[in-house]
Parts: sequence; C-alpha cells; structure tokens
Amino acid sequence: METAPLKEHLKKQIIAFLNLTSVKPEDIKDDQPLFGEGEGLGLDSIDSLELIVLLNREFGIVIQDPKEGRKVLVNINTMVDYIEKHRTK
Amino acid sequence: MLHIHQTTCISPQRTFPHPDLEELHESVNSRLSVIEPDYTGIPQNALRRMARSTRIGVGAAFPLLRRPEAGSSYSSVTSPPSIDGIIIGTANAGMEESIQFMKQIIDHEEGMLAPGVFVQSTPNTIAAQISLLSRNRGYNTTHVHRGLAFENALLDAAMLVRENPRHNYLLGGVDEIGAFNYNIDYLDGWYKKEALSSKRLYEDNSAGSIAGEGAALFLVNDRPENALARVRALATLHSKDPAAVRDQLRHFIDTRLQAGEKIDLFLSGENGDNRLLPFFLSCEDILDRDIPIARFKHMCGEYPTASAFAVWLACHLLQSQSIPPHIIKRMPGSTDPGNRGDKNTVACRNILIYNSHKGAQHSFIWITGTHALTTRPDR
Amino acid sequence: MSKVFVTGVGVISAIGNTLAENHMSLQQGRCGLSTSGNLPTRYAGILPFGEVGIDDGTLREKLRVQDPGVTRTSLLALHALKEAIRDAGMIPSQLGAGDTALVSANTVGGMCLMDELYRDVNRDANGSVFLSSYDPASINIYLQSYYGIKGIVNTIDTACSSAANAIMYGARLIRNGLAKRVLAGGADSLSKFTINGFNALHILSPEICTPFDRDRKGLTLGEGAAFLVLEREEDIRDKKVYAEVSGFANSTDAFHPSSLSAEGEGPYLAMKGALASAGLKEDKIDFINAHGTGTENNDEVESRAMIRLFGEPPPFLSTKANIGHTLGASGAIEAVYTLLSLVHQEVYAGLHCKHPIPGTGLLPIQAYRRLPLHHAMSNSFGFGGNCTSLIFSKAR
Repeated sequence: METAPLKEHLKKQIIAFLNLTSVKPEDIKDDQPLFGEGEGLGLDSIDSLELIVLLNREFGIVIQDPKEGRKVLVNINTMVDYIEKHRTK
Repeated sequence: MLHIHQTTCISPQRTFPHPDLEELHESVNSRLSVIEPDYTGIPQNALRRMARSTRIGVGAAFPLLRRPEAGSSYSSVTSPPSIDGIIIGTANAGMEESIQFMKQIIDHEEGMLAPGVFVQSTPNTIAAQISLLSRNRGYNTTHVHRGLAFENALLDAAMLVRENPRHNYLLGGVDEIGAFNYNIDYLDGWYKKEALSSKRLYEDNSAGSIAGEGAALFLVNDRPENALARVRALATLHSKDPAAVRDQLRHFIDTRLQAGEKIDLFLSGENGDNRLLPFFLSCEDILDRDIPIARFKHMCGEYPTASAFAVWLACHLLQSQSIPPHIIKRMPGSTDPGNRGDKNTVACRNILIYNSHKGAQHSFIWITGTHALTTRPDR
Repeated sequence: MSKVFVTGVGVISAIGNTLAENHMSLQQGRCGLSTSGNLPTRYAGILPFGEVGIDDGTLREKLRVQDPGVTRTSLLALHALKEAIRDAGMIPSQLGAGDTALVSANTVGGMCLMDELYRDVNRDANGSVFLSSYDPASINIYLQSYYGIKGIVNTIDTACSSAANAIMYGARLIRNGLAKRVLAGGADSLSKFTINGFNALHILSPEICTPFDRDRKGLTLGEGAAFLVLEREEDIRDKKVYAEVSGFANSTDAFHPSSLSAEGEGPYLAMKGALASAGLKEDKIDFINAHGTGTENNDEVESRAMIRLFGEPPPFLSTKANIGHTLGASGAIEAVYTLLSLVHQEVYAGLHCKHPIPGTGLLPIQAYRRLPLHHAMSNSFGFGGNCTSLIFSKAR
C-alpha cells in the first residue's frame, strides 16, 4: 500500500498541531526520531500526549496509556504503521 | 530600595532593542499592540508553545540573561552578570492559554484533550520559561495582584536585595492584550466604545481607555556603582476615593523626600478615562506649580502592569537626558519667552510615577537618576 | 529582624469546615475524597474529588454575602479568613491599620465558573455579574474591600506552590519591617478547567489518590482554603501562639514545564534552603508534611530528594490523601495541618499507602501517634518547577 501521501499528511498534521512553525514537512525524515534534541525533532513528553490526541482526532485511534503511546511515537514510519493497522477513520 | 542596572522593554513603541521615542506609534482599532522582535537565539522548541505574553516576557528577559551571539538582535547589549532570582509581575499571563484550553473542553465536551496549553496556562509560565531557558534554580515567583502585580514584584525584589547583598535579580512586569484581558474588560466598560487614536487619548472626555500591552524587565541589585537609576520608595493603596489617594501622595512626599529634595518630574498614568481623571487631577493639584508633568499611557496603552513600562520610561528619560515632547502635559517655564538657552533646562533627578488601575488600585514609585536629566521642552 | 509567629489559623476543606473539624478528621484518619459530588463536569460521579461539604448558597447565607458577583473561591477564602481572624483575636482597628498586610494565593481565581467565563469572553455585550471575579487577584481584592485592609495587599500564583510562597512573602514583609501583622493563605475551588487539565496530562487518578504508594495512579483534586495570622514576636505578649515561622526557601527545578527532574534538584534546594534559613541541621527536622501529590513523578522525585538531603528522612505523610490536591490552597492548608501536629505533639496517618516505592523504601506514617516535635517542614512544588519549603518551630 502506498504510504507516501499518508506520511506527507501526517507530517503536516504534526507541524500544525504542535505549532512547529520553523519546520517544513520535507524537513522531517521518515526515520528521524521525534523525541530528543540533536538527531531528533526535539519533542518532549507533553508533545507525546498531544500526538496521542492528534491520532485520536484525525484517525479515531484510542491510546489509553501514554507509555504505550511512546512505543508508537518513535518516528513517522512507526506512526504510519500503527495508523494503518488501527485507524477507524 | 534597589538599584536598576539594565533594562529592556518590548512595547507598542520603538523600545527594543534600541529605544527611539521621537516618533510615536499610534493605536490600531483602539489597541496599542507591541512591536514584536524576531526572538533570534531563543530555541524554537520553547517559542512554539508560548502565547504572546510569555513570548514578550521571555524575549525582553533574554538579553539580560546570557551573552548575546554575534549578529543577533541582542548583540549590542552588554553581557549580564549571573541572576540569583526571577520575579515577575503579571495580572493575566497564561489567560490566553486558559481560554484556548477552555475552547477545547467545550468543543470536545470534556473528551480527549491536548494538554500543552493547560501546562502553560498558569501565570507563572513566564518566570518558569525564563528559568528553564537560563537553567536558573534560584528564587522564582509570580505576583498577580491585578493593577499592583508589578508593584508587589518590585517590593519583593527590594526585600530580596536587602536580604541578599550583592545578589542580582531579574524583575519584570508583563501583560498582553488577549481574549481575556481585552474582551472581559471591554464588557466591563474599561475600554472605549468608539474607536479612538492613542494620539487623542487625553482629549476624549468619555469612559474607558485604549488597550495596551508590554514587557519591561530590569536587572536589579543593592549596588549603586554604575547603576542607571535607583528606586527610592514605593507606596500602594486600594481605594476608590480620590481624596484618600491625594492624602497618600502628600504623606509620601512628606515622609520619603529628604530635606532639600524635590520631585523634578511627575509621570502620570492618566489614561483618557474620564472616570479616573479626578484621581490624577487631585494629585496634580497638590504638586508645586513648578513641577513638570508627563504622561505615558498614550505610548503603552492601559494594562494592569503598565507601571512597569513607566519605570522603564523613567529610567530611559534619566539616561537619555531628553524628554520627548509628546509625553509632556505641563512644562512650567516653557511659555516664558525670556527663559531660553541653558537657563531653560530643568535639572531632573527625581521622577515620581503615579499610576491607577481602574480607579481602585494605586501606586507611587519614586525613581532617582544617577545624573541630572535636562528637560528641553523646545526640542 | 523580628521573629514571626503564627497566632491564628482558619481552614476549610473536604474533611471539615473549621479548624476543630479538620483536626478531629486528621486524628481519626478520615478521607474526604469521594465520587459522590455534584460538580458541573462529566467526570462527576466517576472520578473522586475532595469537595468542601457546603454549597455556595449555604456559604453565602452563613457569611451573609449579598454581592452576586462573589465566587465560590472567594467564599471559601472568606470563611477561612474569618476563622483565622477570630482565632487570633484581631480587632477591627488592627485590620484597618496600615501595617496589616493581606497576602494570599490561588491558581485559577474565579475559574470555578469556567462556563460563565467562556461565555463572557465570547460575547460583545451584556456581560455577566462575574466580570471582575475571574482573575486570581479577584479573591484578595474582595477580601481587602470586605475588611478595609489598608496595608500591603498581594496575590501570588506559582501554581501548586502558591500558598507556601504567600506565607513566605508574608513572613518576609514582617521581617523587613513592612508590616506588623499579615493575613497569609490560599484558596482554590474545584473547576471543570483544572479537572480536564490534569486529566489531559494523564495524572488524574481514576481512584482515590495513594501518595507514596508503589501502585499510585495520579492525583485527586480537592478544594478549600486556609489562612494564617502572622505576627511579630514583640507584639505577641501573652497571646496564644501556634509556632514560629522559622525558615523558608523558594527554588526552581528548571527542568520541565510540568514535571520534576529525576534528581529533584528544585525540591532538594528548597528543603536545603529552608534549613539554612532556619539555621537548622538536617537532623533537627522531626516531621515533614510532604507535597506528595500521588503522581508517579512527584512522589518518587520528592522521596529521592528527601533521602538525598536527610539520609533517613524523618516521619512524613501527604495529607493530600485526606483532602486531595487543593492547588493554590494546598500550601496554606498543609501549613495549618503541620501547625496542628506541632501544637498537639502528634502525627497523623498517611492514608492509602500500602507498599513503598521500589528503590526508596519510604513509607509515610502508618498510624496516628503522639510524637515530640520541635521543627516541622511543609513542602509545596508546582508547575514550572516552582518549589517552596516552609519550616515551623514549636514556640517556647
């Protein structure tokens, strides 16, 4: 299944939802860590809670335990995998 | 009380990073909004979550906190000493974030909500962000007592420099125009119903003022050496009676000024609201006739911590040794044609600020310069 | 500098409307948290809360408050302040004197009326009666006008450490000669706003909170108010005295907007600073009323900071297990509870904690007991890393 449009869409959603004003979709690599400074996008624990809300509002995915969420929210690839398996909309 | 060593101010006027007050910026839609800098050097990951009050508070604090990078808009600011504590006065920081979070609560019917704005919704978010960015583990507090929030922060700082000699503190007053600050106070009748330019603020005989905002930050300690100015005394009062405020001013002048000292400039928080005018006029009434009077709300607008802007302005006037004509309300001697040249100048060391918030909370702040200010009304 | 003493207290919480009721509940190990409340939120009846057992109407009647713009937070604050003033035997001429200050704290002001506030923010005309009752300062401005206070009046908001900072500011006003007596405290009432906020952060416990327990699931929100009357040593004469405000410190964790660093630098520095300010060594602290919210982060970090500072920490508990996290009131209510322990030379049971946190091995006090106490500490930590510790010492 072609995931490129979903990835592009997700990157735009993340940028808008987290107000990453200085980041463009093409700046986020599919395997780039979302969390941590340096290599990563520099997101933190509050962002991970925000992304769980984003997955809920955009794709109807319910993640109850934030710790479970961190396993999904590694990079764009892991998020897209999870979305494809669990999306309800 | 304390000595002011450095100041920064983000305001609706050209005050940051280099002040230029000759040209007056006018209000738009009865609002005087700040001129925001580009915040070079502040991490994007911190900036993206900040509402405007936090942004301008942190932005104004930033040059006082760290060695500026070459080429940044802060590079002209001299390197600051280390900071031992952060004290912020703000009536309503965090309120914009609160309103955004409430919108989520209502729109999503208390369902799954994004917590980012909730975390930033407490008023201590400015002082907290400054401590985070500077890894400052010292004293950190936020005073929120509406129109006396900055005054209490100032008093806190004055106690701190007395308790901890040779320590440096970052003191500030910050508020923004927002859905809360503006809409609620507009409904409550504190802003003009008809659009009015800030240039005509004092001419309009009606209720309400023009909304304003700003962030004024001060590096303070107990050392007079190389200080820009010294805050000599502060008095605050809750009262709705102009006579009580006038009595407080008389008492302030009688008890605080030493023999031979006089007020050289009265900086009035007059704000174009005709209901508050009696407070300002009754104070002016008991001043000696030869004391010049200036006003500042046409520059910064009305907001609960506008007195922080006034303190910044006083420091600037004492330093720059000139008074922009647009702030002068009364300049004794300037109409005297025989009084020109050097004789015309007024040595100005002592500035007394009087501010009133909603005619219920009042403050007097006395600031002394380290050198004489020369007033040049014919400039 | 004058020594500062507590000469009167007032408190209202989920375990009592008066000091005496709160004292009895603490002795009996009563928990005031339950799901039986009637709050305007979809979580009413689902999540436990620590509601004060008097509705607004009854509070108004009891306090004879006519003004319709007065919020529940102001009513709770007035209730506690009245009791404190009566308890200290303050007379009207003292209340109206220029050297009496009023310093109090809260976190969300009149936002217990969240729906009303949201409506007011979004309309162009015909505002509600609450327009000047939403901001944090509104509570103290109401109390100031109620009593005609002429001295320094201030409101502090450093999130959950607010009231501890109000007490500290009040004590410093006296030490600096800026006031002879200070009414210092805090108040907050339950709000749909804070309930949803902490829930969004996943730190609201689905069951009654279990501070310092291995299996803790988060905090339980509560409401209430407390005030302390602080006076100078030289003005006290033969007055009843609860304790001396002997030490205090405020430090910042500077780590994260809403959680504490693993090593608990802010809490450690606040406790250490309070000891230094009181001129006491670590082994002189006989008891700690901990911040102990019941969240995974706070309780572990606070435990580690206590171990780091004290080695073997003194007996401690979190009274949030009794009344919930009362946010802007917590520093004041918990200070009052600490004073009760000092005055009565007793400690109360730290409720709901069965298993220590692995790695710390610390268990709060398990049952009520008599205990000789000379110096007691009260901790309050807030969002933004704002940490404050207070030390109260038994009056001789």
